[in-house]
Formats: sequence, C-alpha cells, structure tokens
Amino acid sequence: MKVLEIKNVHKIYNSSEVKVHAVNGVNLEFEKGEFAAIVGPSGSGKTTLLNMIGGLDTPTQGEILVDNTNLAGLKSSRLIDFRMRNIGFVFQSYNLIPVLTAKENVEFIMNLQKWDKKERDERTFELLKAVGLEDRVNSRPSKLSGGQQQRVAVARALASKPKFVLADEPTANLDSKSTETLLDIMEHLNKEEGITFIFSTHDARVMKKARRVITIEDGRVISDERKN
Amino acid sequence: MIWKTAWKNVWRNKVRSLVVIISVTIGIFGGVFAVAIMNGAIAQRVDAALNQEISHIHINDKAFRDNYDIQLTIPDGEQILKEIEEMPGVSAVAPRIQITGMASTATKSAGVEIIGIDPEREKKVLNLYDTTIPGTGDFFESESSSLTAYIGQELAKELNIIRYIVDEDVLAALTGKEVPGEVLNKLTPFVGIRFKNEKAFKKALKGSLTLKEQRNFGKSIRDAAWSFRSRSKMTLTFLDKTQMQTGAVFRIAGIYDVRNSMFEMSQVFVKNEDLIPLTGMAPGEFHQLVVRIDDLEATEEITAALKDKLPDLEVMDWKEIQPDLAMMTDMVQRFYAFFMVIILAALAFGIVNTMLMVVLERTKELGMLTAIGMNKKRVFSMIMLESVFLSLVGGVLGMIISQVLIGITARNGINFSNYQEGLEALGYTSHIYPAISMPFFITVTVLIILTGILSSIYPALKALKLDPAEALRTD
Repeated sequence: MKVLEIKNVHKIYNSSEVKVHAVNGVNLEFEKGEFAAIVGPSGSGKTTLLNMIGGLDTPTQGEILVDNTNLAGLKSSRLIDFRMRNIGFVFQSYNLIPVLTAKENVEFIMNLQKWDKKERDERTFELLKAVGLEDRVNSRPSKLSGGQQQRVAVARALASKPKFVLADEPTANLDSKSTETLLDIMEHLNKEEGITFIFSTHDARVMKKARRVITIEDGRVISDERKN
Repeated sequence: MIWKTAWKNVWRNKVRSLVVIISVTIGIFGGVFAVAIMNGAIAQRVDAALNQEISHIHINDKAFRDNYDIQLTIPDGEQILKEIEEMPGVSAVAPRIQITGMASTATKSAGVEIIGIDPEREKKVLNLYDTTIPGTGDFFESESSSLTAYIGQELAKELNIIRYIVDEDVLAALTGKEVPGEVLNKLTPFVGIRFKNEKAFKKALKGSLTLKEQRNFGKSIRDAAWSFRSRSKMTLTFLDKTQMQTGAVFRIAGIYDVRNSMFEMSQVFVKNEDLIPLTGMAPGEFHQLVVRIDDLEATEEITAALKDKLPDLEVMDWKEIQPDLAMMTDMVQRFYAFFMVIILAALAFGIVNTMLMVVLERTKELGMLTAIGMNKKRVFSMIMLESVFLSLVGGVLGMIISQVLIGITARNGINFSNYQEGLEALGYTSHIYPAISMPFFITVTVLIILTGILSSIYPALKALKLDPAEALRTD
C-alpha cells in the first residue's frame, strides 16, 4: 500500500540574483511500513524535499500525493489540518513546548483533535512507555536529556496515528548512546506497529539501521537502495 | 489545552511578565483610586447639597426666581402644603419666605438672602441644624425675647462676629494638641490682643511663625483662638411688601458650618413669625415650598406628579435647582471614562511591545506548532489569551489594591487640608471619603479585558504570518 508518492517534483528558489534549483525532478514512492533514510551532503536538497513531503513548503512543479491527496491542492487551513491528522514530525532540535510536561507535550495534538480524556491518557501512557519514559511523565523538557527530549518528540509525532513520520536529522544533536536507544525505539515501533519512518540524515548509524537509503545530490536522486 | 499552555507561557519569562503586570497594576490602581477620590468628593458634595443646602424639590411662583419679588407668594400655600404632605413618597414639606437684603454689623456689611423658616418643619427637610458650631447657638431651640438669626461661618467671619483671641486657655488647649513649646512661645506676645477677623490673625501669625509651623499648626491655632461673643447682634435690612425699606436687629442664634463658603456667605435663616410682621406679609403667606422625598431615585417621578398637580407654579428638582451639580455628576462620568481610556491605551502599548517580543522569541516554537497541526485560529487565540492573562492579572491586582485602599481610606477619609480654602470656596469639603460604584468597577474590568484583546491583535497577526518551514530553520 502506497502512503506517499512524489511525482516529478521541482523546487526553484528565486533569490534576487541567483536561481537555485534545490530539488530537480524527484520521483519516489513509499510503501506502508518503510524505514527509509534520505541522505546527502549539506545543500543537497534533502531538507527542502522533506519540507515539501511534510506540506511545510510547496513544490514549484510536480505533485506530492499522501494517500492519494495532492498536498499542493490543499488550502493553507486544510493543509494544517491534513498535517495534523496524517504526518508526524520529529525535528533536529526536538522542539518540544518548554512550558509543558512530557505527557502534555505528547497529548497536545490529541487535545487539538479533541480526543476524550480516557483515550488520550491511555494513548499517551502507551507511547511514553514505548519510548521508555513512563517514569518521566511529569518532567518538563528542561529536566530531560537531549535523547529523552527526542524520544518525547517521537512519542508526540506518533500521537495522532499518522500515515508516516518525517524526521529531519533526528540524531544530529545526540551522543552515540542516545542515538542508539532512539533508533532502537523507532525501529521497534516501525516493526511492531507498522509505522512508516522517513529520515533525512547524514549519520552513518541511521543509514546502517535504515532498510532503504535514498541518496540525493544537487537536488536529484542518484541512488535508491533497499536492504533486506 | 490552549488556555493552559497560554497561562504557562505567561510565566515563562517571569521578570518580563511581572514588569508588565506591575505596570498594569499600578496604572489601574492609580486610575481607579483617583476616580474614587473625585467620585467621593462629588458624592459628598451632592450629599451635602441635598441634605444641608437645597433638599430635593422646590416649588414657587413661576416668576419668583427672576428677582425674588416679595409679592410673588404661593396662593393658597397652606392648602397646597397639606396636599403635598399627603402625597406618597413625600417625607416632609417646609414653607419658606425668601427675600434679598443686607446684613450689617458696626464695621461690615454684606448682601444676603434672608430665608424665613418654620424651624420644626425645616428640620425635617434639611439637617443644616446638625452643622451648628458647638457653643454658638441651638437653631432657634431656646425661647428668646429678641429676634434671632442663624448664619453661616463665612458670613460671621466677614461681619467680624467671629474674632480671634489668644489667652491662657487657648495656650493650654494647644499644649494638649501637641503644639511644641517654641511655637507656643511665639504666640505669647499675642495674649490680650483681640484680632477682629481671620485675615488679621493670619497676618499676625505669618509675621511670627515659620512657613512650616504655619502649615503644621496654623489651623489648630486658628481653631483654638476662634472666639464667638455669644448673643452677638447684626442688622438685617430689606424691602417690605410696600417696597419701603425696613429692618431690625437680630441676635445670632447659631452659626452653621457646611464647608461651602458661598452658601455660608449668603444664606441667613430667620423665623417666619419674626419676618412676617416686618415684611407686612399675612400669616400663612410664603414664597416657596421645600419638599423632601423618601427615595432619591423617585425624584423625577414625584417632580412630574407635582408638575401635573401644580401647573401654575414652578416645580424644580435638585438637578434643575443646581444644574452645576447635575452637570458635574454627568461630566465626571465622561471624564472618568476618558481618564481610564488614556491609562489603558498606555498599558496597551506596553502589552503590544511585550507580546511582539514574545512572538519574535518564539518564532521557532510557533513554526513547530503550525507544522504539527495547530491552525491559525488556535495560534491566534493562544497569543491573544497570553496578553489577556497578562492584563487581567495586573488588572485584577490593581483592582484588589484599589478596593482595599478605598476601603481603608473610606473609613477615615483623606484630609486635603492644604487645599481646604480652595475646596471650600467651591463647595467641596477638604476631608474626602473615596468611593467607587459597582458599575464603574465592572466597566473597568471589561475595559481591561478589551485592552488585552485589542493589544494582542497585532502581535498575534505577526505570529500568523510566520512560515513554518522558515520558522523552523531559525536558531
């Protein structure tokens, strides 16, 4: 089952003097349950591509279909709602809400979606348990380590049962032990719950774990390898 | 969730939020307390006017107030008086003769309004008698073989009926009032001198006391040296019904102190029965009826009823008698609103500034919130709620402090004795009891919330314009 199709996507930035072709005719398809890494050097266009997949940026040309819905065709308010229901985000610098506890951060989206309290509590606890933070439920981000914060971010991304999770260099700020724990957790969630993960990274450890590695250079896909 | 997050966000930068909250608190407190003082002063003024000076409704001939023509009495006055007394809502009615004339003593004279009253009835429409200065008389209570008059403190000073004498008793009294010895020493040269009036005494004090001593003890000294020669006399002259000049000597039957110089200067009260033979009026003839009603709220209704009943006479309620009072009450309402709007506008700019900083600081976080699915309406509400909370916390604190302080000062009043003369010249007392009305309180609360909402609009719009992808890239 296809969760995501990228059809001939281009992104051209027109700054005053130079025209930058950040993404140049990318075609990709992702099946449900993939654990894929998009890799490439800085400036290769992977973050731009990821932003377009996540509906944070619009392609200059081409189509991005999530579950057969073209993101470019959605009005901004519909798009925000679509993102909330279908796409989970994990950011490089965690980006948790600093005034809320781990639990509150995780249930934030469920709250926006008006889940009832009982269901919400169950899901939150289940997710925090899955990321190994069941004993830090009431800690604020400032009391958690970087690795723990990123695990909360993963739990938050999964809260509303999205079609796939986009993670933009999720391990870039973590030490190797935290990275390993985080990757194990994500792999486990991927295998057990069938959640699709798409990373952008240039971390070798992530590439090693990924079952599909897509390499991008100068805005083009130069290789797309699947491991078994 | 949005409410909770907004509330927590307020306390994120405690120092900054506290600075805003404190400035809102001080602004609101300053505004509300200043309004309470003005309000209190006006309420006291209205209260004094209604209870000591004019009462609620006056009835007289339609042309009487043009030049107080002695001929323009109320026809069948006694009958009308009885009928009005029977009306529901009316608590008392008093008849008055009113003529203009001249009051004079051996050295001074002044133009006055001579008001002939029935003391027993008059006491039921006004409690002016309550303001009699102790030791000066008893508002026509005691029998007297001679004619008697009840006059104001200012007129008594003007006519040199009040004099200033420093003697051993005065010095002893001042020692009791904690006036220091050195000041008393400076007063000893005055012993035995009789100062004819306040002005002369003040001048003498000015010559020997320092400015600070005058300010601190001047009033106590003047009050102690104040002396009234009991049964002082003055002559009242006026025109009788045949336009012939007439007059008589009246003994002072009391001096009243209403802290309204103009009123004290001009209103001289005498008994109707004393005035009638002098004016050539018939017994039972009078110019005016003063009506007191049970409930001030019913003023308009009862005035209208009286106007219907007495189409040939002029019926005026207190707002018509003293339009300045009514105007004052109306005008200050508008003034308060204006005053509060200025304060709130100043606060609004402070809040806008803070909230702009908040949006700028949280660019990345707001970008993240939009990315994970918080829509514009919610981002807008969150920023708006934060500023409403900021202004509300400050506002509520300001209101509580004002309320507490108003409560404390209302018990004993605030003494503006430095401005006593000026205030009393305008009819205001210098001892003010701050007061605030519930509707004003509610209006201010609503305005504070509105300020919070209005001042959040611009920063919140700024937050909406953030592009999530761009916002996420900022460090």
